[in-house]
Formats: sequence, structure tokens, C-alpha cells
Amino acid sequence: MREISKRFDATQALDHVSLKLYPGQVHALLGENGAGKSTLIKIMTGIHPPDQGAILLDGRPVQIDNPAQAQTYGIAAIYQEPIIFPDLNVAENIFIGQQGRGALVNWRRMYREADAILASLGVQFDVRSQARGLTLAQQQTVEIAKALSMKTRVLIMDEPTASLSLHEVNQLFKLTRTLRDQGVAILFISHRLEEIFEIADHITILRDGKLISSAPASEVTTESAIRDMVGREMESFFAKDAAHHSDDLLLSVRGLTKHGVFSGISFDIHRGEVLGFAGLVGSGRTDVALALFGITPADEGEIIYNGQRVTIHSPDQATGLGIAYVPEDRREYGLVLPMSIATNISLPMLRRYVNRLGIVDRRREDVTAEEYRERFTIRAPSIRLAASKLSGGNQQKVVLSKWLNTEPRLLILDEPTRGIDVGAKAEVHHIINQLAGQGLGILLISSDLPEALAMSDRLLVMREGRQMGIFSRAEANQEVVMTAAMGVG
Amino acid sequence: MIGKRDWRGLLRWETLLAVILVLVIAANISMSEHYLGVNNFINLFQLSIEKIILALIMAFIIINAEIDLSVASLMGLSACLFAWLYAKDVPPEVAILAALVMGAICGAFNGFWIAYAGLPSLVVTLASLVMFRGGARILLEDRSIGLFPQWFNNLGQPNFVGPFSFGIIVFAVLFVISLIVLHFTAFGRYVYIIGNNRHAARYAGIKVRQTKMILFTVSGLVASLGGLLLAARLGTVRANLAEEFELDVITMVLLGGVSIFGGTGTLIGVGLSILVVLNLRNGMSLANYSGNIQTAVVGVLLIASVLLPNLLRDARRWQRLGFRSREVLSAEEEAQETQPTDTVGTPANS
Repeated sequence: MREISKRFDATQALDHVSLKLYPGQVHALLGENGAGKSTLIKIMTGIHPPDQGAILLDGRPVQIDNPAQAQTYGIAAIYQEPIIFPDLNVAENIFIGQQGRGALVNWRRMYREADAILASLGVQFDVRSQARGLTLAQQQTVEIAKALSMKTRVLIMDEPTASLSLHEVNQLFKLTRTLRDQGVAILFISHRLEEIFEIADHITILRDGKLISSAPASEVTTESAIRDMVGREMESFFAKDAAHHSDDLLLSVRGLTKHGVFSGISFDIHRGEVLGFAGLVGSGRTDVALALFGITPADEGEIIYNGQRVTIHSPDQATGLGIAYVPEDRREYGLVLPMSIATNISLPMLRRYVNRLGIVDRRREDVTAEEYRERFTIRAPSIRLAASKLSGGNQQKVVLSKWLNTEPRLLILDEPTRGIDVGAKAEVHHIINQLAGQGLGILLISSDLPEALAMSDRLLVMREGRQMGIFSRAEANQEVVMTAAMGVG
Repeated sequence: MIGKRDWRGLLRWETLLAVILVLVIAANISMSEHYLGVNNFINLFQLSIEKIILALIMAFIIINAEIDLSVASLMGLSACLFAWLYAKDVPPEVAILAALVMGAICGAFNGFWIAYAGLPSLVVTLASLVMFRGGARILLEDRSIGLFPQWFNNLGQPNFVGPFSFGIIVFAVLFVISLIVLHFTAFGRYVYIIGNNRHAARYAGIKVRQTKMILFTVSGLVASLGGLLLAARLGTVRANLAEEFELDVITMVLLGGVSIFGGTGTLIGVGLSILVVLNLRNGMSLANYSGNIQTAVVGVLLIASVLLPNLLRDARRWQRLGFRSREVLSAEEEAQETQPTDTVGTPANS
């Protein structure tokens, strides 16, 4: 790709970015959210046309107008969430979308070829089995097989490891190397630096739509990569505060269990304390939070909140107790996207905005929304703007406003900085510090280990529904926590 | 809450309806000298009074992203229960009360399966559509029961208060109440929020199940009331009373700009759509077009109501971006979602 530029209205998504992919090479693309990675992929696969620049294949310029055409050029992409038809079998999924095989399906031949492709990848599973039963990692293998069946020459892997376990990641890497050795050019995108260094031959870093650096992996260090991505040194990344919690117990959980999901979870949270929850995706951290918030109540165990034993069976009740939960998926669970910022903020506390006649007082709603807009510098031209029109960081601030407006005493934050840019991330960290300073108890679930370590007073580590230990700030470091989270060593 | 800017986007469909209404009225005036007259206007409402009462609660339910197909069957069942009890010499006041209570219970029955068992309302109310009608047939078989007391029959006739019938007064009162509840109270806000995103609603501590339960129970009660009004208007009850009315009711709501996917629409729009449908049918009757042709015209209007907003949006996008394939447009819009532009119309809300 040469000198690619793309502009969306006022935003320059890509600014003269060039990228060279070679057969038999894994080329990693790094950058914060909004750096332009996705736009670049969309141009390569024909979803967007570039405003400027050209794509060259074997030295010849090609025009890619749509994804189907990209396929005929041998360019394919696999994503974080595999696109799988659960009711079709493995072979059908591999060969889906390949027309011109005649009116009748030659099943025997299809199974034979599917077997051959999987064998060439060094994996083996029944091509006649339904895709529904496959693990995420197996589904991704099917996607890779699909790409291979189309004689793919350029394979784009967009955060393929985001939802995989460590073991599965290793397998995916084995596959990736197999493909590379077969002469496929691979563009690999991930947020996890360790992975990049493990798999990549060449690393390109984008920031704000510009190409910042492009060099062989051996010449790049973690420090230089982070510096190039964020444009500053790592130290300014997190707003660290000294531990400021009191001995005033807010929440005490003993032996909390939800059959088949998590068991034997026990911890305390004091006022002003940030208790981090670390662990791999799927280790049960969110489930514990959902139990505390009454979405899926626990089966066994004791919750002592504010000195009283409580059973929490609905979010409504939890809100009344002063427990607030900021969910991981803010677009689906945190916000009503087509509704205005003001409507979203007043939502859990709408009762307070109702006058004697039962009419919602919109002026008071607006006043509240304006307060939070100012307090958290929510960047929006008006509080009447639909939440869908905000950036991820500003959406997260709206969700935070919405819950802080309930005047909670316990705030549960589930991946509060996922998918938001560095600036907004720092602001969210600052807000967390501020709230802890005001005496809120905070339960912080984060898969971003540096964040969890920097923000928590103590860190609870979970693995497969079990509590592996609680580490004080002095005891916790990356190694200790990862060891506990993965159950090795 | 709703500023000037929002109204622009919100009223687009309602404005179009108002224009259509003016056109229909103008055409009616030019075509028939009988059209302008108090009696004709009363008559125009009277002929569909039960449907338009039901359209009010149906608007709540569809905005809540549900549907109630059983309303017409419940009208029939309620009228049949009243007639059956009356024929058994139960005092009519008691029979009316029994029919209304049964209506609320039947509505709550729907609500239970939808709100607490989590079944889709389309399936639940389709089943109860059949079930309630079956109940009506069991009660009356192929009999027809009439000869109700004069005071009961009067409820269905004009000149109940001044020139107005009881039904028209009920409609007017319910319209004002619905307007206030839907657009100005917390409950109305919850109806919209749940219709938009029931997950986010639940996570915000809103009682989603309770809200749905209330809506379906009220729907049952109103359907039962509608059945009694129809019985009073016709003066006689058969098991097939009000059959297929639900389609007309849903048509009026959708034509009013309420999205079948929930979350958007206003009661003003539904009110306008009711006026359009009634005046159109009335004018066509006066001009001697058959009922079938009237129905076909309403059908065309409904399709237009679904198509037009989409066409308008596409036209605006084309204007903005130049002609490209739809696929590219939607992909670009996705990419732009994070940008605070105000060029794409916000769906109408609260």
C-alpha cells in the first residue's frame, strides 16, 4: 500500500500511510484505538475506497471496490469474533461463499478437501461436526482454513487473540507460523505487546492516522513501541495515588458461590479503597460483579454491606442500597444509544426528577446533566445529543455520570477503560482516584494488568471461577498476578 | 428535554401525516356536501370507536417493542361473557364488571408469559388470539344474544352527552391520559427506554418485567372495554364479534410513525394517523367506494409509511455523500458513529 489517505468529514483517519507486506512475513500493526488501523484494513478489503494513494499487488496497482473483489485478489481478513454459521458443519463453513462448484454439492470431495486443508495446518477435527460445538479457538482455525481454501496470499488478522486463552493463543501462533512458512503475507493486529514481539517479523506503528515507525521486530523494544504508540513515556500513563482507604468496612463477602460459575469468593472492601479484580477473560470476575448487582444473584454465601447482611436479588434493589455497576459493554448494557445524554444520566434516578403530579421535570434533568458535563468534561455540543454520537471515552463518562448521580457507596467498574483512547483513559483513572478519595469503595475489574496494578490498593486474582488470592500493593506485580491467574508455577 | 433541534427530526413523519390529513379533508370537502357536518364527524368516529381506543394502548405496547395480537379476540370474549351472563339473568352491572375483570386477567395472563417466562409476545398473543376466540365460541356457540337493557344500548349510540357518544368521550379522555403518561411521566420514559434497549434498562434498575406486565394487563382491560362498547353499539353479540380488528389497530399505530421494532413514535403521530384513516374511509364511503377499496388504500398508505422515511433518509445521505452503494454507506456511517455530527436524523424519542 502506498501513500494511503482517508478522510471522514473533518477527521483525517489516515494520512499518507504506506505499508509493505512480503510473502512469508508476519507484519504487526500497532496503534491506540482511533490510530487508523481499522480504516487501513477496511481499505485493503475493499469496504472503503481510499481518497488518495494506491494499493499495489505484485508491483501492479489494483483497485479493490468490495470485499468479494478483495477475495479474488487473495486478500482475506479474520476478526476477533469469527464469522461462523453455527448450524452448518465445519466443511461447509470452510467452503462457504465459494460459488462455481456446480449446482450440486460434491460432499465427498468437499470433506476430502476440508480434511486436507486442516491437515496442512497441522490440526485435526471432524469436518462433519456442527460448528456450534466448536470453541472460539477452533472457530478461528476454521476461519483460517476458509482463508486458505480461497488461495489467500494476504491474510489480515485483526485482534484474533482478544478472546483466547493463553494455550489457545499459542496454538493460533503455531498456525500463523505454518501459514507464514507456506508463503502467506500476514498482517497481524493486537493490543498485546508481548504477543506482537513473539510473532512479528516486522512492526509498524500508527498514531492519529500517521505512520510513526516501521522497523524489523528485532530493532523495536517494548519501551520504544509504547512511546511511539502514545507519543509520550509510559510514566505519565497512570495517575497513581497513594493508598487512601480507611479501616471503615463497607462490604464484606464470604464464600459467595454461583453453581457452575464461581465459588468460594471472599473479600472485604473498605471505604475509599480500590479492590482490583484480575484474571483472564472468562475467569468469573464479571459474574461476581453481576451477583453483587443482583442481575444473576448468587446461590450461596454471605454479603454484609454497610454492617448489614443482605441478599441482593435485583439491580433495582442494588441501586437502592447504593451499589452501582458500570458494565463492560457500555453500548449494549450501559447506555440507551438513541437517547440523549441527559436522558441517560437521569435514568436510574428518574424517580427523583418527578414532581407531585408524576411529571418528569426536564429542566432539573438538564441541570444535572450540565453539572456532569462540566465536571467530567464530556465533549458534546449539547446534553440533548444522542449518546450514540459520542466517542467511546465520552460515552464512558456519561455512564459514570449516570451512576454517580445515584450517589453510590460501592462502585463496581467492569473494564472501565476498554476501547477508549489514552487521553480519556487517563481521565477515567483520575476520576477513580477522586471518587476513592471521597470515600467510595471501588471494585475495579480490569484485564489491563498495568492498569489493575497501578489503580488498586489490593488485587484479587481469579482463575476459572475460583479466588487464587488477594495481593497487597506491595506484593503484587505482573509476574505474581499472571502466575496466579494462569495457575502455573 | 425536547429542544427545537430535536423537534425538527421528531416531527418529520408527523408533519407529513398532517399534510396528508389536510389533503384528505380538502378532497372530501370538494367531493361531498355531506362531509362537513357535525353528524358526519360524529359518525366517522363512531364507526371505528373501539379500534381507535385500542390503538392508544397498542401504541404503548409497540413502542415497548412488543405486540398484542389478542386484543380483538379478547374484545369478542369479553362481549360474549357479558352476553352469556346477561342471558343467565345476572344483573347487567355485575356482568359488565365480570367482563372487565376477566379482560384484565386475560391481559395479565399474556403479560406473565411475556414478562416473566420471557416468551416472545408475537407467539404468546398469537396463541391467546386463538384461545380467547375459542372461549367466545364455547360460550355462545352459534347463538346471537341481544335485547340488552336500553341504558346499555345507549352507551353505543350518539347523543349520549350533547352530540357525542359515550365511546367518543372515553376515547378523548384516554387520549389525553395516554399523551401525558407516555410523554411526560417516568413510566412513559421507561416504556421508551425498554423498547430501545431492555438490557440497558434492566442494568439501570428499571423494573422491566413489571412495566411489561402493567402494559399487557391494561391492554386486556381496554380490549374488554372495547368489546363491551361494540356490543352496546351493535345491540347484539355473536362469537365472531370484532374478528380481525387487531390488524386495523396495528395499522393505525404503525402508520402513526411508531416503529415495529420499538423505541420510537409519538402519540401525536398515532392521533394524526387515526384521523387520516377515519377521514379517508369516510370520504371514500361518501364517494361510494367499497370497503375493500378503502382497505386497499389504507394498505398502500401503510407501506408508504414504512418506505417513505427510509427513502427520505437515503436521499439525504446521497445528497451528502454522492451516489454510492448502500453497503459502502452503511459501513461509513458505522465509522462515523463516534463523530458528533448532527446530519443523520435522531430517531424520535421521549
